[in-house]
Amino acid sequence: MSLEFLSAFKFLKKETFLHNLDPRAKLLLAITYTISALLFQEIIPLLIILITLLPVIIIGRLFKKWVKSVKGMSFLYIFIIVLNTLFINENGLSFAIAMILRISIMISAFSLFFLTVDPNDLALSLITMKIPYEYAFSFSLAFRFVPTIAIETQNIIDAQQSRGYEMQKKGIINQIKNLFPLLVPLIVSSIRRAFNVAEALESRSFGNKKDRTFYYMIKYSIKDWIFSLYLILLLTFLIFVRINFMLMPLWFRWSLPL
Amino acid sequence: MMDENSHPLIMIHDIDYVYSNGTIALKQVSLNIKKGEFIAIMGQNGAGKTTLIRTFNGLIRPTKGSIFLEGENIDSKTIATISKKVGVIFQNPMHQLFSNTLEEEIKFSLKNLNLDKEEIQIKVDQILKEFDLEKYRKRSPFNLSGGESKKLATASILCRDPDILVFDEPTLGQDAKEINFFLGLIKNELERGKTIIMVTHNIEFTVEHVPRTILMGGGQIIADGPTQSIFTNEFLISKSSLIMPQIYLFKKELQKIGITVPKEVIRESEITNFLDNYLEGKSTI
Repeated sequence: MSLEFLSAFKFLKKETFLHNLDPRAKLLLAITYTISALLFQEIIPLLIILITLLPVIIIGRLFKKWVKSVKGMSFLYIFIIVLNTLFINENGLSFAIAMILRISIMISAFSLFFLTVDPNDLALSLITMKIPYEYAFSFSLAFRFVPTIAIETQNIIDAQQSRGYEMQKKGIINQIKNLFPLLVPLIVSSIRRAFNVAEALESRSFGNKKDRTFYYMIKYSIKDWIFSLYLILLLTFLIFVRINFMLMPLWFRWSLPL
Repeated sequence: MMDENSHPLIMIHDIDYVYSNGTIALKQVSLNIKKGEFIAIMGQNGAGKTTLIRTFNGLIRPTKGSIFLEGENIDSKTIATISKKVGVIFQNPMHQLFSNTLEEEIKFSLKNLNLDKEEIQIKVDQILKEFDLEKYRKRSPFNLSGGESKKLATASILCRDPDILVFDEPTLGQDAKEINFFLGLIKNELERGKTIIMVTHNIEFTVEHVPRTILMGGGQIIADGPTQSIFTNEFLISKSSLIMPQIYLFKKELQKIGITVPKEVIRESEITNFLDNYLEGKSTI
């Protein structure tokens, strides 16, 4: 199993329209697309929603990273197809494809958020949303540790494989049991790291002053308002479509004849 | 020392490894390791040492070149198969411990060898005794000290009885007693005909105990030979961002007061012998 797809959630500094947007506008993008994906369970509308994300991905010059993140989840797609076609008799395959599209939209939207939001800006944007600094900082710290955890997971896999651990086992029960040698060390080392980080922060007087100041503050500019307005309009339109779904043309409700 | 007529146990032929982000970790690495050798791989951080040892049991497959184990190309072999012969002991023991008890932790490694229950129990008892971990048998691996965790991680590989043992920084964070235990273990395994390779930054340990040293830098092997000749070559050592051993520096100080110590003297026992002989011949230094 390659954890390379996790790199598609790691912030990369670039000078693009998307990167320069306020983190709150990008959070709104992730939320809007998640809600939109949950509104439908048909292939065509979900495909259209996914297509509307493409220009944003291209503007952010993130196409390769996006492909990697979507490709990295292919094991999940296979799992969805197998389970749906086995257990849902009517239109199982269509439903499975729709679910894959739904997950792809959500992953893409959050991948865009993580790829373009600097962890420091994320903490600042949360503070402007009246979230206490301690929580905002913890959240941005967790976000920053995603690539570290990916590396650590790979090390754990390597260490276990070196004593004969096999990644692929037959049967669902065996596969679940097979996760323990990976999950336990990962959880234990994550907890230990959390304690170490907490101690390191406290030894540098973290939380000493309640009314702290910041090196710089973020502001919602005109382009952020325009982008947010576009997202709100898009979401309103999609809700309208959902409510009037039966009035939509037949092709819009198309599914595979299986 | 290497026997010229023996067949290499591991033969690495012109391998390259490039990470997905484009970083070249290994470049044209070729290496022969013979049965029963004890080798140290040294070099600055990022030199490619850990990447190289990860290719030994197939965790990393070279992007170019081949690796032969006992004359067979390992390219088509699974990690599980190679691991029966090559045991890699990682730097951080916490990356592998997950069971409720020490006993279970060892059993996990043995179960993967498809041994029967009785055989597993015998081996567990034997290895816990050998590693002086018997008293903690029912204890959680997460309640052990750093040194004991490292012992347990080593035990969980050694119980599989691989022919080749590969250690990544075995002496890191270990106290003197633990390093001595490790040394005893290594000597014992070498007597049993095992081949031992270790990645280390511990210069003094290497100089004292390891006959062959490989220096790496920028993903390449920059020197490979007897430890004695490598650690008397100031140019090579500074190129690898290492420092000269204490005894070498001591020899230089002796030189300043007119005592010339032969070049090949590099170990503690050698310098002690030299000084004993020197003092027998002279009343004062």
